[in-house]
Amino acid sequence: MVLSFWRVLSGGLLVMMSPFVLVSQAQQPAAPTKVVQIMGLTGVKNKTSGSLAVEGGNLRFAHGAAKVDLAATSVQDVVTGNDSQRLIHGTLGTLTMFAPYESGRFLSLFRTKLDTLTIQYRDTDGGLHGAVFTMPVGQAEVIKKELIAQGAHTSVPTVEGADNAPSKSTSAKEQKP
Amino acid sequence: MKSLKIMFGRVSAWALPVAMLFAAPALRAQEKQPAKIKASSIKVTMIESDEIKLPAEFQVSLYEDLIQQLQKKGGFQHVYRDGDHNAADAADLVILTSTVRGFKEGSERVRQVTTVAGATSISVHCAFTNKDGKLLLERDIRGNVRFFGGNLRATYDFAKKTAQVAHENFSPNAGT
Repeated sequence: MVLSFWRVLSGGLLVMMSPFVLVSQAQQPAAPTKVVQIMGLTGVKNKTSGSLAVEGGNLRFAHGAAKVDLAATSVQDVVTGNDSQRLIHGTLGTLTMFAPYESGRFLSLFRTKLDTLTIQYRDTDGGLHGAVFTMPVGQAEVIKKELIAQGAHTSVPTVEGADNAPSKSTSAKEQKP
Repeated sequence: MKSLKIMFGRVSAWALPVAMLFAAPALRAQEKQPAKIKASSIKVTMIESDEIKLPAEFQVSLYEDLIQQLQKKGGFQHVYRDGDHNAADAADLVILTSTVRGFKEGSERVRQVTTVAGATSISVHCAFTNKDGKLLLERDIRGNVRFFGGNLRATYDFAKKTAQVAHENFSPNAGT
């Protein structure tokens, strides 16, 4: 009898506290996401690794000491998608192509999934730019939501509750309606 | 000595047609080379894909690669982006409008495993017009990735070919 009372009490407490847990998580500043800038950011070479964050109304890409800021309001379209890359990529991945007994082909079967974030923005002269980023699965939708909250526009509205849903399903909806 | 003469005769009999075979296309190309159209700057509009559903990253990649390649190899003094206010005052401006006519997304994994399958291809209709909208040149240009690289490499292939077409047909120093 006493045991079940404690169980009910602890369960009730958990239910009562759960909204506060969600609020406290939402108030935490978003940590920068590790991304690869595939192309498009002014002053940044193609395929540059760095971190991406939305802070103070800006989309900030940082690589080393250099930082590139884009006003969220200048972003005309932000769209997420998905892609994949070889598990062993880069120079080592290229070298595996020459591995004996076609083992390079075998290694090509192992791939990691990625999210893509594509943005279109205008510069001060009104010129249209586009930029493509790749990042770990689940991150693109979060950045998209933050950007929209800060004033960016999108041609594909975000789905409610997409934060908890796997990114692949939302991006599939966007890319292949 | 006699056999040497016969051999020389045989070799020259073969060499002449072979030389003509290689020289003919080059000569023909020189004859056919059209007069270039005068254009010192170009404005690239965003890639249109109303009929074909094109993923956003391909659309942006086509546009950015096109601008990069035109800046490198197009031979124009200025390459303006879609919406750039400065393009309004540019003299001898050409406007490039690109419309996607075909898109087949392949697979990098299939390419790497099989070598022969999984190609990605994009077919784009490019129209070069002047400020008044008069059509100066139009071409269907295809971008492919067959063996190495990710799917987005097809956009780079397309951009390189388009910049080459622009370089062959437009020049800031042309007479017309």
